[in-house]
Amino acid sequence: MFFFTIRRIIASVLVLLVSSFLVFALCAASFDPLAKYYTQNPRPPESFFNNLREQLGLNDNFFVRYWNWLSGALTGDFGETINGTPVADQLIGRIGVTGRMIIAAVVIAVVLAIIVGVVGAVRQYKASDYALTFFVYILIALPTFWFAALLKEFVAGGINDMLGSQVLYTIGEETPGLGLYASGWELWSDRLGHLILPTISLAMLSFAAWSRFQRAAMLDVMGSDYMRLARAKGLTYRRTVVRHGLRNALIPLTTVVALGIGTLFGGAIITETVFVWHGMGEYLINNGIHQNDINVVLGWLLVSAVFVVVFNLIADILYAVLDPRIRLA
Amino acid sequence: MATTQATTDTAGGVLPATPGAPQSGGEVEREFTVKARSQRQQIIRRFFRNKVGMTGLVMFVVLLVFGFIGPLVDGKTYDAQNSSAQSVPPGTAGYLLGSDAIGRDLLAGLMQGVQRSLFIVLLFVVIAFPLGLLVGALAGYFGKWVDSLLMRFVDLILTVPLLVVLIVVASNFPSSRTPLGVGIILGLFGWLDLARIVRSQFLSLREKEYVEAAHAMGASNARIIFKHLIPNTLGSLIVWTTLAAATAITLEAALTYLGFGVNGANQTSLGRLVSDGVQAASTRPWLFYYPGIALLLIVLAINLIGDGIRDAFDPSNRRVRA
Repeated sequence: MFFFTIRRIIASVLVLLVSSFLVFALCAASFDPLAKYYTQNPRPPESFFNNLREQLGLNDNFFVRYWNWLSGALTGDFGETINGTPVADQLIGRIGVTGRMIIAAVVIAVVLAIIVGVVGAVRQYKASDYALTFFVYILIALPTFWFAALLKEFVAGGINDMLGSQVLYTIGEETPGLGLYASGWELWSDRLGHLILPTISLAMLSFAAWSRFQRAAMLDVMGSDYMRLARAKGLTYRRTVVRHGLRNALIPLTTVVALGIGTLFGGAIITETVFVWHGMGEYLINNGIHQNDINVVLGWLLVSAVFVVVFNLIADILYAVLDPRIRLA
Repeated sequence: MATTQATTDTAGGVLPATPGAPQSGGEVEREFTVKARSQRQQIIRRFFRNKVGMTGLVMFVVLLVFGFIGPLVDGKTYDAQNSSAQSVPPGTAGYLLGSDAIGRDLLAGLMQGVQRSLFIVLLFVVIAFPLGLLVGALAGYFGKWVDSLLMRFVDLILTVPLLVVLIVVASNFPSSRTPLGVGIILGLFGWLDLARIVRSQFLSLREKEYVEAAHAMGASNARIIFKHLIPNTLGSLIVWTTLAAATAITLEAALTYLGFGVNGANQTSLGRLVSDGVQAASTRPWLFYYPGIALLLIVLAINLIGDGIRDAFDPSNRRVRA
């Protein structure tokens, strides 16, 4: 298992290298950081552009630029944005913001997916199964931003009215400026109030698809011989389902969730936009793509790709933990 | 159950055969009076008996009628702006579902939106399906370096969330802000998971005896791939197509909401209607609800059909026997 992990990490680093090169090529070919000055009126003199090009290193050879970026990234320096702030500093804070949302959402979603999936499988073709299936299908079909807007409109409004004070916030990750002076309980309770709605929105939409996987896996397992054996040798139904069935049925879910965390980074872009969170997604869209800033886009992609690769690795290791028949070699 | 009864009936009802006299019809000699069905007939039959799948199909047909025949019956166009009927609520004369801020009829907009979204899906499938099938088939059938090359390429693109790839690509082509452009971009990047599915199926199918037999008889690689292997992956292909179609609609809506999808002047799609409506959620709720519900229904319908087809193709399906 140790060597497996080492080998996988080396392979992943190679994948990351090549993918960063591809993304760099794509961005370098299409983004022009000077685009916003071209349309300025009056148009700046040509020497201004030349200076800026020299300053941003745009005159260098493509491979030299990639090497400059790469050697910087390896030492933790992701370069500067067009406006001159270091990307690395921004990224760390923003990972924290997005991470708060994603971690809470994933935990809730996994628990819900397991419960709903198992209940659906155990009570297959009964009323409760049909009701859950219907509910889940609706959730799968909901567009993220529409659902989030519904939450903002009704849940937030309703609960705040009921409690008579602003408990749930619909905008931002914390009350602006609060981080400057408040600390401890005051700050974290405020953040919690901001966290609830985005988390619900993200968790509900991801758990829906996952619960279908869990249900299918559970149905497969329930029909297998060792489950019948477990029943035949006298175990209680509950014990066979929870101890023998669930453990094996968790394997497909691990894959889906591990892959899904990477996708959640993408999905979080929409949630962040709706709830105006200043997280990774907002950084990518507003500071990266809208500003034609290569360093920001590359920094974002590298961080999200590392997450994808790491969680894939975790999934592979978890297989072996969940199912001893699988040997990693 | 029905078969046993039928057999006893025939057996009991038949007169003892007189030697030399030909028996009337062939049925009597049959042990079971079950009609023989080919596998394809069984699958179709299972699908039509599946309530979930049929619900989806009916919903989908209704939406098709709504999108393509509706405008003919309704007779209005979404482009027509009426300055005297701006933001009228639903039910106002001539505006069944109300109108938006510049006096366009929401009902006509929805019809056109459904139409355009289905067009996007069609385009997406037409582009992504052959690409994914080809890449997956080549990788799975030939294995070795072809497999490594193609699959590493797929892996590379998949390290980045699909939505982000689409955003980066779409931001480079500002002229692609039409249903046509969005459909093409979705298609060009939507085949990656299909390639993986096809490859994994091919890996196991190419070891089967019938492939060996075809080789022994001198069949070409192309013939084996197209005549023997692809028909055997048909189930997964159809299921992928339906589920990916639903994803394409959602992705289009997301792209449009973030400002990288359909947003040219006079261009519309369901995603655009929904994202425009989100801004008006509290002031003009009809602009928020109806497009959202339409999008919900269309994705739901396609997903239900996909589920029904998957059940129909699954031979271990315990519920629906046909």
